[in-house]
Amino acid sequence: MTGRVAVAWTVVGVPLVCGIYNIIVRTAPLFGG
Amino acid sequence: MALTFLDREHTVAGPGYSRWLIPPAALAVHLSIGQAYATSVYKNALVAHFDTSLTAIGIIFSIAIVMLGVSAAILGTWVDRVGPRKAMFASACFWASGFLVGALGIGTNQLWLVYLGYGFIGGIGLGIGYISPVSTLIKWFPDRPGLATGMAIMGFGGGALIASPLSSQLLGFYDSGFNPTDPTTVASGDAVMKLFVTLAVIYFLVMMLGVFNVRVPAPGWKPPNFDPAKITTKKMITANNVSAKNAVKTPQFWLLWTVLFCNVTAGIGILEQASPMIQDFFRGGDGVSAVAAAAGAGFVGLLSIFNMAGRFVWSSTSDYIGRKPMYAIYLGGGIILYFLLATFGNTATALFVLLAAIILSFYGGGFATVPAYLRDLFGTYQVGAIHGRLLTAWSAAGVAGPLIINGFLDAQGTPGELVASDYRLALYTMVAVLAVGFVANLLIKPVSDRFHESAGHTDAFLEAHDAESGGQVVSGRSS
Repeated sequence: MTGRVAVAWTVVGVPLVCGIYNIIVRTAPLFGG
Repeated sequence: MALTFLDREHTVAGPGYSRWLIPPAALAVHLSIGQAYATSVYKNALVAHFDTSLTAIGIIFSIAIVMLGVSAAILGTWVDRVGPRKAMFASACFWASGFLVGALGIGTNQLWLVYLGYGFIGGIGLGIGYISPVSTLIKWFPDRPGLATGMAIMGFGGGALIASPLSSQLLGFYDSGFNPTDPTTVASGDAVMKLFVTLAVIYFLVMMLGVFNVRVPAPGWKPPNFDPAKITTKKMITANNVSAKNAVKTPQFWLLWTVLFCNVTAGIGILEQASPMIQDFFRGGDGVSAVAAAAGAGFVGLLSIFNMAGRFVWSSTSDYIGRKPMYAIYLGGGIILYFLLATFGNTATALFVLLAAIILSFYGGGFATVPAYLRDLFGTYQVGAIHGRLLTAWSAAGVAGPLIINGFLDAQGTPGELVASDYRLALYTMVAVLAVGFVANLLIKPVSDRFHESAGHTDAFLEAHDAESGGQVVSGRSS
């Protein structure tokens, strides 16, 4: 069950984390970065 | 029938099933339907393609939000009866079909088909998808309802975070003349049509992950070390239950409806216009904005992060400080932040982004805390159905918010030529709207005893009865 929980969170978590990273990189110029 | 695995009877969790599998199932659905918050990325492309106004294109989003509220209100009891799996499957079908019909409308240059597809059909998918994991998570997390609803609804806030950059890249891929980093280019209608078809396929597949993982807890199930008596000792948390039919007769329901309407109207105005708004706020005298279109799309995503984080953080916080003080912070803080945004927002990009980000975190928090507020006021008996009815406030706000913003902006000038001062009147109007919501929240008191159900009519009674009689599922029982 633990493995299944880890897989489920990974499937939704990876795009989410990639999305957050992508947004931070793309909005860096807004803060002069 | 091959689809009987969708029935509620086949989704009751067996012993040892982890409740931590439910949040990712909810996220798979909410991240998909949360794309509704990324419409500003292709909004200008649709304005150009249909040769129409911002208001006419904004109506697509408004219809979707209206249908979200209407379908959630009408289908709330159906969702509770058939269970989350069938509801999520239906949501996926409606959501994907909405994109496909919308694509047909763009391809044949018929705006009404986009209204019908993305707005009407997709909006039904939004409503069903939105409420199905919410009520299920409340049942899995009775010890932390704010955390539970925050986890469910945060995906809806985070949907644009994935959809916004993905859509920009796909538009660039489908239209070689469109450069996401160049503000002077607008994607063609053909590219938006292909984008809609692509999103239909992607979201249908992702939502199936939720369909296969979601379960309802067995009757009588409760988390280890959970004592229900502990949560009902606070003044604003009832130990009684109110039916959905009676809830709409109480002043508390309509005060909370007003609170949600005001909070959403204010937030949705910014969200729906986010990408063009930040570019307009920093447009120079030469008509060129200091903020590139790509950064504008990134700004939409950044707001999604705060929208999503607010849902989780503020809703979880409400478990400790109470729902009423939490809404006082959302609305009172919002009044100050909107005033600052309208008055000083154009002085620095970082200040603009910071103010908008906090506003959006309050906006998201308002959504995520509402189911727990309803549970506190009306009990758990028919909280899903009451939540569905309350979401009509979102529908009304989905019309009012964009109409206020777009109405003011259409009167001020042409998209692509607007500046910060053109937004000022609209934002001050939002300050007044939030003030109304703030007063409504202050007026909320516990529900009168005359609206309470007798114990024999509630699910809590039925579930206790189920548990005593061996935990058998009572087929067809509605909540």
